[in-house]
Amino acid sequence: MSMVMLLLAVGAYSLATATFLIHVVGGKQWSRRLGDVALIVGASAHAVAWGLRLAAFGYRALAPLPEQLSAMALFAVAVYLLVSLRVSLSAVGAAVAPLAAIASVSAYFFEAGGPPQTVPPSGLWVPFHVGPTLLGYGVFALSFCLSLAYLVQERQLKGKARSGIFRRLPSLQTLDEWNHRFVVWGFVFFTVGIVSGSWLAKQRWGELWSWDPVQTWSGGAWVLYASLLHLRSVGWRGKRAAQLVVWSFLFLLVSFIGVSMFFPGRHGVQTTWTRNS
Amino acid sequence: MDSELLIVGVNHHWSPVEVRERLAIHPDKVPTFLQRLTRYRGVEEAAVLSTCNRVEVVLVAREVEEAVNVVTGELVTSEACSEKILRDNLLEYRGREAVRHLFRVAASLDSLVVGEPQILGQMKDFYRRAVATGSVGVVLHRCFHKAFSVAKRVRTQTGVANRAVSVSSAAVELASKVFERLDDKTALLIGAGTIGELAARHLLSHGVRGLLVINRNFERAVAVAKQFEATPMPLEELSQALLWADVVIGATAAENFVLTADVVRQALRQRKFRPLFLIDLSVPRNFDPKINQLDQVYLFDIDDLAAVAQQNKEQRAREADRAELIVEAEVDSFMRWWRSLEVTPTIVALRERLERIRQREVEQFLASHPELDNALLEDIRRFSRALLAKFLHSPLTQIKREGGKKEKLYLAAARRLFQLDPGEDDE
Repeated sequence: MSMVMLLLAVGAYSLATATFLIHVVGGKQWSRRLGDVALIVGASAHAVAWGLRLAAFGYRALAPLPEQLSAMALFAVAVYLLVSLRVSLSAVGAAVAPLAAIASVSAYFFEAGGPPQTVPPSGLWVPFHVGPTLLGYGVFALSFCLSLAYLVQERQLKGKARSGIFRRLPSLQTLDEWNHRFVVWGFVFFTVGIVSGSWLAKQRWGELWSWDPVQTWSGGAWVLYASLLHLRSVGWRGKRAAQLVVWSFLFLLVSFIGVSMFFPGRHGVQTTWTRNS
Repeated sequence: MDSELLIVGVNHHWSPVEVRERLAIHPDKVPTFLQRLTRYRGVEEAAVLSTCNRVEVVLVAREVEEAVNVVTGELVTSEACSEKILRDNLLEYRGREAVRHLFRVAASLDSLVVGEPQILGQMKDFYRRAVATGSVGVVLHRCFHKAFSVAKRVRTQTGVANRAVSVSSAAVELASKVFERLDDKTALLIGAGTIGELAARHLLSHGVRGLLVINRNFERAVAVAKQFEATPMPLEELSQALLWADVVIGATAAENFVLTADVVRQALRQRKFRPLFLIDLSVPRNFDPKINQLDQVYLFDIDDLAAVAQQNKEQRAREADRAELIVEAEVDSFMRWWRSLEVTPTIVALRERLERIRQREVEQFLASHPELDNALLEDIRRFSRALLAKFLHSPLTQIKREGGKKEKLYLAAARRLFQLDPGEDDE
């Protein structure tokens, strides 16, 4: 059943991607509204799929990497929808929807491969470590989308607004302000995740910081985001801030996906199909 | 002998401003003007619309030629304008043409800038004055109300009104893509000439919080600033002003760049890279085009703005085609109502309607009393016909006899009281 819901989410996210693109390029209002609806349907199905999955496997469901990406995408879409109640970021959906589609597809194929195997050390790590970290990553993903929209809008205006896309995108001020807000929120959750992670590491491995590859790389990402926040206060706003957010998020993704896959260390993220083991 | 809807006047299609301004009727003079018109026997109803683009008199009149002469005479006596000039410029719309014209004016399809919203408000105001004067009857009442509802339909169902088509409004549209809101932003006007003033006024009307005015001749800056409750600043303090402003308008007659990339770069650093939106309305240009290469600065010159406005104009023209279809449909509906407002069709319709009611009631009564014999049956039928004829006698004679200024009023009342136009409501 959770697979069916996940498939529904994949379909809705894909539809949202298509309709948002039609809106941004062609300026059709109906397609923006359809995109919003598709995104809401997608997020609801996705959340139900997650609920069922957690009910079936407990916290173990969160161990595999594709599932973590899928949770992160769900957080991103949910926060996007909540924020949309207050401010129209319409065209940003064109960036959020494809990310959600990709992440839920990867989860779908992973689940098709079999149940999760890795057993978590204790029930506590999920609510205190994995939860806040993935929420933080989801919010960072949103700020990444806003930064892309900012860079597109900035090019439009610098290029004297010849194409009309500039009408569908929010103002630079809105994109920049919400981008900053998302970086702050994401940073807060990310920090909570790292602190609780260190505490759990002390419980499990006996030391707060052990230069485990995942720890090291996410520490690097944390430093990047911290400096981003600092640089803003000395005038790195707008385009420069947006570019920095894009690079920081790409770094975060590499540290999250790449390192988990190639230097798993002892962090216990399941990255391989495990049907036969 | 039937009355005709008629619009007589001048508008921007044919007449230059020199003529229009001489004919313009001040709102306060509307009552006397309309009273004079309706004193003529052939003029049944009258209203007038006087804006900077048009002076148009809307009439319901019996003798069209005579009515045109009357209006011409009144316009000539009311303002300093020779009859010859007026005759050369006068436009006339009759019947269906007049209805269409009125609807198109209300929907802002006939405006100099198609889609500009002011015209509807002005029209409502002039209509109210005519109503207060008592010169509006049943036909103009319905015609104006239809025009207002057409305007509403056009505004909500087409995109005619939602694009910026002037250079100034294109500037505001672009500014709103840099800044989410303008009401916490400050504008700086460099060069206090006419063009700059216009642009500043436009920005202020869109809610810019403060305005700074810089001019080479400081007295002039002070004078213009006073007009807008703005702050005048001498040219030497330009770099200071750049720290306070978010939107900068350049409109000087200077031959060289007033603003160079270096000056702006320095200002940006001091303002911690808060964005700047620059509009260069001058030819030759006031702002060095290289400024646009700086981060956080968006520079548009007059050609860039015109290009955006032009795009919007083309879009608007497509929307206007859809609006014309709406107008055409509404004109049809009005004309149907108008044609029905004549003596013979109204009497026929009234007779038919009451006759149908009589027959139905009689047959129902007879069906529930099968015991009645045939002779009595016929008596009852004859009685009901006589009763109906008596009831109808007085109203029908009144309608036939009236024929004067109140004819349409009686006809409209009859149609409404007896529901002769099913599905037609009044608004």
